[in-house]
Amino acid sequence: MEEPIQSVDGELTFWGAHKFLLLIALSIAIALALVGISMTLYATSGAAQLDLSRPGYRGVTSQAISSDSGFQNYPNTGPINSSSVNEFKTLYEKQAATAKVVDAFAGDPLNPDALEISASSTPTQ
Amino acid sequence: MIKNIKLVSLGVLASALCAVALIGTIHAQSAPMTDAQIARIRLNCVSAKNTIAQLHASDALLRVNRGQIYESMTTKLMTRFNDRASSNHYDISGLTLAIQNYNSTLTAFRADYQVYEEQLSSALTIDCTKEPVAFYDAVSLARTQRSQVHVDVTKLNQYIDDYDTVLNVFISSEVTGK
Repeated sequence: MEEPIQSVDGELTFWGAHKFLLLIALSIAIALALVGISMTLYATSGAAQLDLSRPGYRGVTSQAISSDSGFQNYPNTGPINSSSVNEFKTLYEKQAATAKVVDAFAGDPLNPDALEISASSTPTQ
Repeated sequence: MIKNIKLVSLGVLASALCAVALIGTIHAQSAPMTDAQIARIRLNCVSAKNTIAQLHASDALLRVNRGQIYESMTTKLMTRFNDRASSNHYDISGLTLAIQNYNSTLTAFRADYQVYEEQLSSALTIDCTKEPVAFYDAVSLARTQRSQVHVDVTKLNQYIDDYDTVLNVFISSEVTGK
């Protein structure tokens, strides 16, 4: 049963008098909750790591590959014969070479020596 | 005789405990940072952070570009060929295993990169002039995590080769052999 917006003597109740304010407050609360959920998903799903529009990444945004790097979808229907297998082999070997051409995350750029923050030989107590 | 055995056992136990304590002491002594190193971190702090910030951006670009290629290898090629061979009633158990290995490594690559990126970001937020030790530790941890990402990449490249090898076996036994 709904709460009456008018009291028995004809005066508006508190919620009756502040309906509009309540609507705005509820809307803001729902919006904040949805933004909170979205930001949590953005941060935890790994999407943040792929977002090159974040501050600090502006310099490299233009270098991101926006196309599909020449990858063709191999048809997943049709017969398997010498011709279709050879077609796949050609595609696969070409893209495998592309994938392996860069030894990503190699090297040791965070080495303390490289950053000139390496340890000294004499410890202090 | 039994008393001697007990004495020897106690001696061995005591020696083991002493050895553990000594190793712990040695390990603990290697941890403290020298005043000279702390001063060095403070001195080179700004340039180190600039280098790390550049690495942070270039690694993000690498993650996006290489990630796309690694994703496409499985979604546009491997999975599609497996589906096609399977729908033609071929035995693709070898190919399925190869793709499972690849996909699980790809999942690990995504997760490990996320952990590494979060650690590197947190290192960048540390004020290294005020907290040089915390900064050093954060960078060291990020370094370890970055090497794990590289291990994942090496494994992915290996599984790409493995799939090719299994594919050749499949072709010779199932397609041209029939």
